[in-house]
Amino acid sequence: MFAILALLIGIGLGIWLEPSLPTGLTSYLPIMIVAALDALFGALRAWFDGTFSDRVFAISFFSNVLIAALIVFIGDQIGVGSQLSTAVVVVLGIRIFTNAAAIRRAIFHA
Amino acid sequence: MKRRAVRGDSDRPVAWSMDILRQIRESAVDPDYAAVGKGKHASAGRWRLPLVAVGLVLGMVVAMQGWYTYKASPDAASEHDQLVSRIRAADKTNDDLRAQQVALGDEIASLQKRQADTTTQAQLDAQGGVSGGIAVTGPGMVVVVDDAEGTNAARVTDEDLRQLVNGAWQAGAEAITINGYRVTARTAIRSAGSAITVDYRSLLRPYRIEAIGDPRTLPARFANTPGGAWWADAKNNYGLSYDVTTSSSLTLPADPGLTVTTARKS
Repeated sequence: MFAILALLIGIGLGIWLEPSLPTGLTSYLPIMIVAALDALFGALRAWFDGTFSDRVFAISFFSNVLIAALIVFIGDQIGVGSQLSTAVVVVLGIRIFTNAAAIRRAIFHA
Repeated sequence: MKRRAVRGDSDRPVAWSMDILRQIRESAVDPDYAAVGKGKHASAGRWRLPLVAVGLVLGMVVAMQGWYTYKASPDAASEHDQLVSRIRAADKTNDDLRAQQVALGDEIASLQKRQADTTTQAQLDAQGGVSGGIAVTGPGMVVVVDDAEGTNAARVTDEDLRQLVNGAWQAGAEAITINGYRVTARTAIRSAGSAITVDYRSLLRPYRIEAIGDPRTLPARFANTPGGAWWADAKNNYGLSYDVTTSSSLTLPADPGLTVTTARKS
């Protein structure tokens, strides 16, 4: 409940803050979003497995987002930023699909 | 200090460490969920704040990126339009300055006419036509060339235009323009990027070459020069469009760039 409220507030904040978004941050946001999605799907699957823990969710969410940003940052420093972004998206994409498939099996038993 | 066991590391075949795809799929859900949260669905009050933070960050990041992408697309388009209009404006300024230069050149010529005696004037007129220093009128030949039809088709290159112009000189043309730019002994026909330039002014296709000379003999003689052969070949083998006609009256402007820059009166 609180989390959903916070989500709405976050969306509002994001739109309100966007004009001040520094240009250096724009390459990190997409990767951070993919990492966040990965954490979300992981949490959803854990929920269906009956093992959800908000502590693990919060920690995995923030560590995922931070590490994704860090990898892109390091990639930018050594000149392979876009390639590393692609690598992160591929790995996280596989995880998201795997989790989504498990969730689908849990809901539809198919 | 209690050492934490690294899950499943010891009883795993070595080859698995290279099996990265399988590893990604098998640990798709954070293993800590299994370790910590067995059967606990209700939120413990302590973890409500991090969850709120998760929601805040997630909403903000997604909204920022979405809004940014939404706003960036018309930005790029308007930037492009702005650049195009700036190029057009610069082109127009260029043309205006050139027209001014031509007008001033005409003024110089008329002042010269008033000063010089008749023999000097006759000399000036005769040499000005050949050198490109004055505008000339007369019958001649018009060659219109263009890129071949189709998306990946052959294009006219600067070398093609050089061959054409040299062929026209060889055939006896007395004055030549390309798309209205007078070609003189000092004119450079080159390419810059994908455009052909004449004296560093870029041309738009189709390319129209006007050459003053005897319209009865000029086309035939041109066809016999290496330039004419070059273009017959380009037309037949590469599909470039190449059209030769004659005209009873052509007016070619002067080259405004013909000034003495280094030489001095001794």
